[in-house]
Amino acid sequence: MPAPVKRRATPGGVPSSTPAREPPRLRPALGGGRGSNDPAPAAAASRELWLAIHLPDYVLESLRWRARFAGAAAHAPGGTAVVDVEDRGRVVFACDAPAATAGIARGMALNSALALLPSLHVLPREANVERALLDAVATLATGFTPRVALEPPDAVLLEVRGSLRLFGGVRCLLAEVRERLRRLGCVPRLALTPTPLAALWFARVDEEVVLRRREGLASRLAPLPLACTRWPEKSVQSLATMGVRTVGDCLRLPRDGLARRFAPELLLTLDRALGRAADPRAAFVPHPRFTARRDLEPELSDTARLGLAVEPLLEELCAFLRLRGHGVDALELTLLHREAPATRVRLRLVAPATQIAHIAGLLREHLERRELPEPVRALRLRSGPPVPVVVVAGDLFARHAQRTAGVPQLVERLRARLGPDAVHGLRLVAEHRPERNWGHSYSVPGTDFRLENRCLAPNMSVPYFPCRPLWLLADPQPLPGGERPRYDGPLELEEGPERIESGWWDGCDVRRDYYVARDRVGARLWVFRERQGGGRWFLHGVFG
Amino acid sequence: MSALDDLLRRPDLWRARERSGTTSQPPGRSTGYAVLDRCLPGGGWPAQGLIEILTDRCGIGELSLLMPALAALGSEEHGEGWIAWIAPPHQPYAPALAACGVDVSRLLVVRGQPADWAMEQALRSGVCSAVLGWAEFRDHRALRRLQLAAEQSRSFTVLFRRLRDGDAPSPAVLRLALDSGREGLVVRILKSRGGHASTVRLGRLDPADWAAAH
Repeated sequence: MPAPVKRRATPGGVPSSTPAREPPRLRPALGGGRGSNDPAPAAAASRELWLAIHLPDYVLESLRWRARFAGAAAHAPGGTAVVDVEDRGRVVFACDAPAATAGIARGMALNSALALLPSLHVLPREANVERALLDAVATLATGFTPRVALEPPDAVLLEVRGSLRLFGGVRCLLAEVRERLRRLGCVPRLALTPTPLAALWFARVDEEVVLRRREGLASRLAPLPLACTRWPEKSVQSLATMGVRTVGDCLRLPRDGLARRFAPELLLTLDRALGRAADPRAAFVPHPRFTARRDLEPELSDTARLGLAVEPLLEELCAFLRLRGHGVDALELTLLHREAPATRVRLRLVAPATQIAHIAGLLREHLERRELPEPVRALRLRSGPPVPVVVVAGDLFARHAQRTAGVPQLVERLRARLGPDAVHGLRLVAEHRPERNWGHSYSVPGTDFRLENRCLAPNMSVPYFPCRPLWLLADPQPLPGGERPRYDGPLELEEGPERIESGWWDGCDVRRDYYVARDRVGARLWVFRERQGGGRWFLHGVFG
Repeated sequence: MSALDDLLRRPDLWRARERSGTTSQPPGRSTGYAVLDRCLPGGGWPAQGLIEILTDRCGIGELSLLMPALAALGSEEHGEGWIAWIAPPHQPYAPALAACGVDVSRLLVVRGQPADWAMEQALRSGVCSAVLGWAEFRDHRALRRLQLAAEQSRSFTVLFRRLRDGDAPSPAVLRLALDSGREGLVVRILKSRGGHASTVRLGRLDPADWAAAH
C-alpha cells in the first residue's frame, strides 16, 4: 500500500490530485532545492478567505457620520473640502464630488481651492473621528466574523471563510456588508481573496474581485499598479525608473536582487500577498464598554423630550449589546450643561438588560424626577462592563414562566422611583432571637433570588414556633408598667412566658420572657419582659 | 328603555337579585374560613378585582384573615407568582409567615411613597399573584384605576384602608370592615358584588393552626 503514504507526504495536506494536475506551483521549490530565488511554500492549506473593506472617502464620511450622529444637517450641498495642515499651510486633504468637478484636488492649497469655488464648505480634518469611524466599521464587521483586523487609516479586513454558509454565500454576504455600511453612511470597495494583502490591494484600486482560489492570484495581481501596495514613495519611484510599474513587473524581478536593493519588507509583502508567506494579523478587539455622545441642537430643558433624545444613543447601545450577546447592569447618562456642572443619572439594574424599551423606561423614570439647573447641551451615555445574559429557553406549556421573568423589571421600576433600598425580599435565618431569625434580601430577584433564599435557610431547617406575630416592630417599643405592662390601657397576658435566651457570644445578649397579650380593643400583641436590668416591658410584635 | 339597558350593561352595576349562581361571577378562592366563605358570592375571595379591608387597628386579625388564601397561592396552580407587600405598617415577620405556609422566598416588600403607584406597578407587571397594599386614596379616579389594574391582572389584590374611608364610594369588588370584639374578629361585609351585606363573627383566628391542620 505505498500510494496512501505518498499522498500523505504531499505538503500541507493538499488534496492528493492537486500536485499531479497542477505541478508548476509546487514543483520548483520541492524539486530544485530551496534556492534563494524560490520562496518557501507557505502552508497551502490555510483555507482562508479575506474580505477587504476599503473606504476611499473615509475622511468625508467620518465627518458626515459624526455630524449625522450629533443630529446636525448632513452636509452642505455646494461642495465640501476637508483641509489638513501641512508644512505649506492648509491644504485640501479630501473633497466631495461637487468640489472635485470645480477642479479642486487633493494637495491643493486652501486659497487656490477657495478661488476655484468660493462657496466651498471647509472642514478641518479630525483624526480621532476618522479612527472612530474605522472602529465603528470594524465593530460592525464583528457581526460577520470573529476575525477582524484593522488596516488604518481606511480599511478593515475580515476573514469570512467560516461565515459564507451562514450568510448564504459570497454574493449575499457582500450585499449585506454593503448594506450595513451604507446605513453607517459609507460607500466601500470590497474585494475577496485568499490573502488579506491581495484583497486590500484590489480594493484600493477599485477592483471589486472575488477570488476563491490561490492559483489565479498571481496573474490577477499582475496588472495592479504599484501604488496600491503603499510601499515607501522612494522605493516606488526608483522601481518606476527601472520600468517596474505593476505588481506583475515586480514579481518578475529576481528575488535576491530585489531584497538587496530595496527594503526586505517589499519581498515579504509580495510573498504575503501571494500567500507564500504567513500574514498574521492582530485581531480587532471591540471596545469593552459602550460610550457615546450626542450634541443637542437646540438645547433641551424638558425632561420628557430629553427622554426621546436619549433614544438614538440607546439604540446604539442595544446594537452594541446584541453584537456581543451581552447585557448591561450599570449605565450612566451624563447631561452636559453650558455652565453648571453636569447632571449624572446612574442606573443600576438588578439583572442585565438588553431591551431598549426597558432601559428607556427606567431612564425616563429617573429623568422625570430630576431638576435640571440649565438646559442640556449634550448627552453622554456610558455603560458598565457588558455582562453575559442567561437566556432561559421558554417552555411551550409553561403558563407562569412570564411571571418570574418580569420580577427584575418590576423591582427596577419600583427602585427607580422609590429609591434603591425601597424594595427587598425576605429570608429566614436559623436563629432563636426574633430580631435575627429573618433578614432582608437585596439580591437579584428572579431565579437566583429564590435560590439564594433556599441555600441560606431552607424552610425545613427553621424551627417551628407556635406563637409568632405576623408583624414585627422594627425596634422593641418600651411599655410602661411594673408587674403588668400597659399599652393604651392595661394588657391582659394570655400565653407565656416563653423564654428566649441567646446570643451571649456575639455581644447581643438576649434574655427575655415573651408573652402573648391582649389589649383593650382585643388586638393580640407580643410583649416581652427583660430578665436583666430593671425587668422592663417591651412591645415586640403584633399578631395581625 | 335603552338607557336602562345601557346602564345595566355596565360592569360596575349589578342587580341585587343576581346571586352567585346566576351571574357570571367566577368561583372565588377560598378564604380558609368556612363561615366567611358561605357569605361571599363565589364561595370565597373574588378571583379578580380589588378587595378593600377597612380597619383602624393593627393586630386584630387583619392579616390572619388573609393567610390561608396567601398560603394557597404559593402551592397550587399559581405556582410562580410573587406576593408584594406595598408600604406595610410594620415589618412582615418572615418566620411567622413561613409557619402559616407562605413561601417567604417569593415575597417582595416595598416601602416608600407613592404607595398607590407602586401597587399599580406591581399589578401591571403581571408577576404578582397577590398584592397587599396600605395606601391612602383621596382620589376616586386613582382608586378606579387600581380596580381596573386588579381586574386585568387577576392578582389577589387587597387594599387596607381606614374605617372612615368606608363612607366614600369605592369601585372595589368587595369591601370588608373589621372590628374586634371580646370573642374575636368581626367582619362586616359592606359591599360585595353579587352578594349581600352581612356581618360574620369569625372568632379567634390562628392561621398557624390552620396551616398545621392542612
